[in-house]
Amino acid sequence: MDHPFQCIEVVHRIDTPYLLSACGPKLSSTSLSTGEVVSTWTAPGSEDTGLRTEIPGPGKLEDDAEERPAKKQKTATSSATSLSKIIKLTASPDNRHAVAVTDDKCVRVFEIHDDGKLDELSQRVMPKRPCAVQVLPDNSTILCGDKFGDVYSLPLLPKPESSTHQPKSDGSQPPEEKSKPFKPQATTQTVHSKRNLKSLEAQMKQKNLTTKTKQPLAFEHKLLLGHVSVLTDLTYATREVDGKQRGYIITADRDEHIRVSRGPPQSHIIEGYCLGHTQFVSKVCAIPGADLLVSGGGDEWLGVWDWPNFSLRWKFESFGEDTRKALVQGGVTQAEALPATAVSGIWLVPGDLDGRPEGVVVVACERVPVLAYCPIAELRNALPGRTPKWSFEPFDHPVLDVTATGTTILLSFDTRSKSHERLRACKLHITRGECDVLSVGSVGEDTMQAAIKTANSTSSDVTDEKDLDSLLCGIANLRKRVNQDEAADHDEPAENEE
Amino acid sequence: MAGPPKKRQKREEKQEGEMPQKKYYRQRAHANPFSDHGLISQRSPESPAAMDWPQHYPAFATQPGSEPDNQAKNPKTITQQVEIADIGCGFGGLLFALAPKLPTTLILGLEIRSSVTEFVQQKALALRSQNASSGLYNNVSCIRANTMKFLPNFFSKAQLSKIFLCFPDPHFKARKHKQRIVSTSLNSEYAFVMRPGGKVYTITDVEDLHLWMVEHFEAHPSFERVVGEEVEGDVCVETMRTETEEGKKVERNSGMKFVAVFRRLEDPSWP
Repeated sequence: MDHPFQCIEVVHRIDTPYLLSACGPKLSSTSLSTGEVVSTWTAPGSEDTGLRTEIPGPGKLEDDAEERPAKKQKTATSSATSLSKIIKLTASPDNRHAVAVTDDKCVRVFEIHDDGKLDELSQRVMPKRPCAVQVLPDNSTILCGDKFGDVYSLPLLPKPESSTHQPKSDGSQPPEEKSKPFKPQATTQTVHSKRNLKSLEAQMKQKNLTTKTKQPLAFEHKLLLGHVSVLTDLTYATREVDGKQRGYIITADRDEHIRVSRGPPQSHIIEGYCLGHTQFVSKVCAIPGADLLVSGGGDEWLGVWDWPNFSLRWKFESFGEDTRKALVQGGVTQAEALPATAVSGIWLVPGDLDGRPEGVVVVACERVPVLAYCPIAELRNALPGRTPKWSFEPFDHPVLDVTATGTTILLSFDTRSKSHERLRACKLHITRGECDVLSVGSVGEDTMQAAIKTANSTSSDVTDEKDLDSLLCGIANLRKRVNQDEAADHDEPAENEE
Repeated sequence: MAGPPKKRQKREEKQEGEMPQKKYYRQRAHANPFSDHGLISQRSPESPAAMDWPQHYPAFATQPGSEPDNQAKNPKTITQQVEIADIGCGFGGLLFALAPKLPTTLILGLEIRSSVTEFVQQKALALRSQNASSGLYNNVSCIRANTMKFLPNFFSKAQLSKIFLCFPDPHFKARKHKQRIVSTSLNSEYAFVMRPGGKVYTITDVEDLHLWMVEHFEAHPSFERVVGEEVEGDVCVETMRTETEEGKKVERNSGMKFVAVFRRLEDPSWP
């Protein structure tokens, strides 16, 4: 069994496209003009970095948002051979740097040389597992959202002296003096419930009379905003107002919210919310120049928002249903057995509409081998009376990631069998709302085909299907389950409150 | 077995207009704000526009026929918006003290514990029927909500003029500080639902928490602390000190009460 490419990204260096692909712990750079692998980097094992590995499990996304007690943390010793896997991959807008996040919570910045070679420049371990990263248009700031709901900004290139840099007091982590003498936070006069009283007694008994201070992050970072929820996606959008560019941070969470905040340095100001989802929102995609935002998640519909006005411009009600229909037409008979809709990716890629270049929004759902497409022109003209037409294209395997070079798009598939290709290049031709997906081989780009072939033939054996599932298919876990919690909550025995 | 079923039965034995008894509505004082609770089945509204406000403030419901166009589109409107929110209102001591003092302002309590919410709702109904002649207490209600997650589902931008945070759970352990009701990122949400010039009132008997709240609101660019005469002369501060349930408890224990008030500032213009 080969490991699928969980993330792919094309960068251009001096007019040559290079495919950056993440395959388990391995990050490769492959020239798309010669088909040669120019550089390979492998993430260190958890032991090498001395970092703890969190094993994502089914309970991972539950609201245990606090750091879990030590017993739940699996340490590197128990899985000594496991290497950290790459969970996110992105490139700076100028394509000079790539940012990869590994599942040891480490944000790693790579320099992309002119010849496509990669050099790891820095490693920064975030306090919580990052779930979305983006390099801002200034090419010098990383936005990093984590599972805990917080969004930080980091300089792309840490300043050399920053190893001793004291984090700026931004109010998020109030500076605690190193060895503040211990002082109980309450007195017995403070009114407590039984539990608080117990905790106070425990504090009094504590032998160690200095407060434990958490190691502050040893690199420059700034908390920009936070959700009290699991953050799922973020995107930085700009729009021109009165001749000036304004930057916005759009964040999505498990609790159905899409929040629009101002970009730094005023990220503490929330401009508004795009409300209407009734399930988790897992992906948002802003469409530049159109003030539109496409959102999806656990709902059976996709939203197209007029985000500067926080209004739902158009609701693609039958998205889930149409996806299943496409599957049946594609010959998948057990389409009814498919999981509930869980959008795993929304991308904006180049295509052509009636022969003219046009951006196309592409949507994938977890574990569903279908892609949905809609050209931007359709979305832009969408009005209550005129619904845009989406096309659906079935494939053999679910799509994990999408990237593009020129008018060619590259798809990475979640295939667990050696005989199937894990990467495929194709072109999107759309005529009057109908979408044709043409394989690149038929349009004669042989070098690219060679590169794809090279990538597909790189062997990377994996055996554990469960590990793969937890790496590649985590979105459905965001769905809330009605659990015992609910029953227990209603009439918990009242503790003596008074 | 004694326990919940009996309590619930007792709640139902109450006559209409009769005050509910607290002892039948007690619930554990701590709730995990990160948990979904029963809020999956008992959903938060999709957005403020989806709220059924007349259900909570029937006396303020838009009269049928007064605005026929509006009526047809959304029958669930009230003549004015909720302006005061008591976040974590508990058994509603502050709500019922403020309601007669500000009879023309809509006041809403938000409470995460379902039984306690039910108590406040029942008490509001009872007080309304007891004061039917004066019309008092028509302006007060309570809903179950996890405001740390869903505040913007209930209130729109700049809707509120006052937010009360009275005797919040102190969450002593540093590990639990993220669960505190005041934090840099939550303050941005309070700022969003508040109008410029509006005020946040905090009170606690835990000095450490008081300092925490002051530190975080003062550090937030959207708020400034209000001091001196403006605090002492504020009827809301006086009410908060003496009328909240916890306030009374602290009084009995002769504990300390720490009050702080913060003003919502105008947003700066875009850079």
